[in-house]
Amino acid sequence: MTLKWIGKPVPRQDAGGKVTGATRFMSDLSFPGMLWGRVLRSRYPHALIKSIDTGEAARLPGVVAVLTHHDVPGLNGYGIVVQDQPVLCSDKVRYMGDAVALVAAETKEIAARALELIRVEYEELPGVFDPEEAMQAGAPQVHATGNIFRHTAVAHGDVEAAFAEADVIVENVYRTSRQMPAFLETEGGVALLDAGGLLTVWCGSQYPDRDVIQIARALGMANEKIRVIANPVGGGFGGKDEVTIQIHLALLAMKTMRPVKIVLSREESVVTGWKKHPMVIRMKTGARRDGSLVAHQVTIVSDTGAYASLGGTILNSAIEHCSGPYRVPNVQVDGYCVYTNNSVSGAMRGFGVNQVTFAMETQMEILAEKLAMDRLAIRLKNGLQQGDKGALGNDLVTAMGPVPTLAAAGATDLWRQREVYKANPSRPWKRRGVGLAAAIKGCGLGFRLPDFGTATIELLPGGYFRVGVGCPEIGQGNSIAYAQMAAEVLGCPVDQVEVVTGDTAATPDSGTSTASRSVYVAGNAIIIAGQRMRERLREVAAAELNVPAGEIDLCEGLAAAGGKSISYTQLAARMLAGGKDCRELGRFHSPKADQEIAGAYGLPHLVFGTHAHVVLVEVDTLTGQVEVLETVALPDAGRVINRQGLEGQSEGGTLMGMGYALSEEVVLEKGVTKTLNFNNYIIPTAVDAPPVATIPVEVMEQTGPFGAKGIGEAVCISITPAITNAIYDAVGVRITELPANLERVLAGMQTCGIR
Amino acid sequence: MEKQTITFTLNGLPVELVVDPGARLVDVLREELDLTGTKEGCGQGECGACTVLVDGQAVNSCLVLVGQVQGREVITVEGLAKDGILDPLQEAFITEGAVQCGYCTPGMLLSAKALLMKNPFPSEEEIKEAIAGNLCRCTGYVKIVKAIQTAAARQGNCSTGS
Repeated sequence: MTLKWIGKPVPRQDAGGKVTGATRFMSDLSFPGMLWGRVLRSRYPHALIKSIDTGEAARLPGVVAVLTHHDVPGLNGYGIVVQDQPVLCSDKVRYMGDAVALVAAETKEIAARALELIRVEYEELPGVFDPEEAMQAGAPQVHATGNIFRHTAVAHGDVEAAFAEADVIVENVYRTSRQMPAFLETEGGVALLDAGGLLTVWCGSQYPDRDVIQIARALGMANEKIRVIANPVGGGFGGKDEVTIQIHLALLAMKTMRPVKIVLSREESVVTGWKKHPMVIRMKTGARRDGSLVAHQVTIVSDTGAYASLGGTILNSAIEHCSGPYRVPNVQVDGYCVYTNNSVSGAMRGFGVNQVTFAMETQMEILAEKLAMDRLAIRLKNGLQQGDKGALGNDLVTAMGPVPTLAAAGATDLWRQREVYKANPSRPWKRRGVGLAAAIKGCGLGFRLPDFGTATIELLPGGYFRVGVGCPEIGQGNSIAYAQMAAEVLGCPVDQVEVVTGDTAATPDSGTSTASRSVYVAGNAIIIAGQRMRERLREVAAAELNVPAGEIDLCEGLAAAGGKSISYTQLAARMLAGGKDCRELGRFHSPKADQEIAGAYGLPHLVFGTHAHVVLVEVDTLTGQVEVLETVALPDAGRVINRQGLEGQSEGGTLMGMGYALSEEVVLEKGVTKTLNFNNYIIPTAVDAPPVATIPVEVMEQTGPFGAKGIGEAVCISITPAITNAIYDAVGVRITELPANLERVLAGMQTCGIR
Repeated sequence: MEKQTITFTLNGLPVELVVDPGARLVDVLREELDLTGTKEGCGQGECGACTVLVDGQAVNSCLVLVGQVQGREVITVEGLAKDGILDPLQEAFITEGAVQCGYCTPGMLLSAKALLMKNPFPSEEEIKEAIAGNLCRCTGYVKIVKAIQTAAARQGNCSTGS
């Protein structure tokens, strides 16, 4: 098959508006008569609410509404899986980000003043801030249902017997940090009730169709009366998958009957927002002398903070990926997702896989060292292949990338010539190391949840096409991938395709822009819709050209057969004559595994993306500072739809995983966030950014659109252990706790005698 | 603070506003003048999303009060293109794939513009230094740096040619 648009470096169609400032993000919108909304947050991480007095605030001139839990007409709760988070707290607060009251006022200044005038009487409760302590009897209870939100215990094979046969066993405890999405656009938007009774909420989101459900449930409204628009979104990374301010906007707009805008300050965003789960991971791994893994025993304690959101699902995702990209015949895992009074954890790029992969890829290095094996050889020996069983005994029936991806990593110059790269540090007191790691990440929502893609394709006057997909453009570039796939199927130039995403009134529900899924599911849906549109074009062209439909070739915006042709422009004029519309819908249901893993809700996944990284670091032995000098990223995304887009994901993911490795950590002290802004939550800058050479490894996925699979998360996973492994290679410090900041690296060097 | 008349040049045109001189420039641009291309990401000068040019200097407009731009020349992202012709930096950001979510893009462009106005042939290190105050969470900066190099090369060729 010759491909015209797939794989081509087509520039993004949304870039033009973004470079001129013409594009309006949801937090850029304003309307005549608009009010400013603010949210009163909790004063304590754990307290009972004794009373709320809004009288003085309501009397302040310029204040239009002050709302409390009494003003939530429907369910006072939200959450993707369980609705355990109050829209507005009534009797208790469980973390500092909890919402207690809402204000709408004529100006931002009046709204801010009104917040100060709301009197909330609290009775402070002892809090619990360590997830392992939260599991103990007698710990303060965050919810009446107990602190353990989910316990998942799964086993495959006989771990004890296998350990008895192992020649070497490695056992370690790993601790991972609380990384935050740090999207540049904070949670913001506007809500407006129109004269027809339709409530529109413009707000950054990764799944507007689900926001409609959550808003409707809280407001006691019909879904049909609510429209959510999230296009475009200034970054998501998982942090805009759950509801943020959508319900608050809706409540204020309904109460005031005026447009209301809320934009969270960075500090408020950091206190309230969804972050990566910190995990304590105990890992015991056994191997035979030849390096083959035989047994893997894992315990995970995951801190989900005050509310569950996707915490249970993320725990299970961590469990599914707990052996990384490697085959282990005997696995036993015990995982706990635990409530605390810390900041809330939820979806964030990697969905539990970053944490376990960091741990597993460190275990592999230690095993290699103990067995005196090459670090790459032990990985290749155990790399998962199609036909193998996954960590939980699930059959891996789709194309698996670990072995070719690792082989490609091994073939890079940086890996083969690593001793040369390490030989000349920039200063005598610096040392260099090269590290390698790989990761797999399931694409999509797993076994249990409906996982579908839906796309519409509409023929427009002039022979143009409009593609509609619900999955929002959050920066990742799904829109241009959709345009290229549609152009390929429709046989037209890519600039004759426009793409609309993330508008519940204009685009079909296609699930969420998360889980490395939007290209896979919606791409397949576009192919289905596109093929139907082709049939329609062919039928009409056949009649016009007087040839059988089957002989017609569709290419370059022309329907041609036997030397005759008719343009899509002419076809559109015929097909849309008299005001007719021509629209096709495609729906794709993700294939699922044959059976669910007993005791593990939603597992397993069926399709996996793979990623490997090779990195060169330089460690300053005087300060502990780690500089990443070179990185090679090896994504297996199946067929590459847009090379530039893939590189963009790979480069951005590499940097995000580097931040996770070296600097990023939301610090809380007894539930109080200390890292409130970018002055002390350190994400990498351009000066820190290493070159990233991206080498795609295209292991075609038979069920994917043109052979593609998701990669948006895998790109940020393997880099983290690749860096920590490189630190060990440089100075012999084994990093088991993230981030590997100056203090940890320095302390490690002191322990092992380098300093 | 009492409102005062503030006059300055904005994207080449004179503006006269009656505003609180203590208002932040970013708020005046976005809310009074509806120039929402200038973004706010942190409110304390750490992220650079609100970068604009004041007399050719890249500044964080969240840290500048509108009274401070009295009589000065302000350029925002909306003022980069001239008569519908994109600035070479804008062109290069599109063709090099330097735009993802796009929220940092206006600030990046203006920091890069300030650099190229002062230094038409910057080294890679100078480019990285010039945008070190502009955070981007999507791109890893690789294509942004490349785009600035491409624009510099194009401008260089143009000036050589003319």
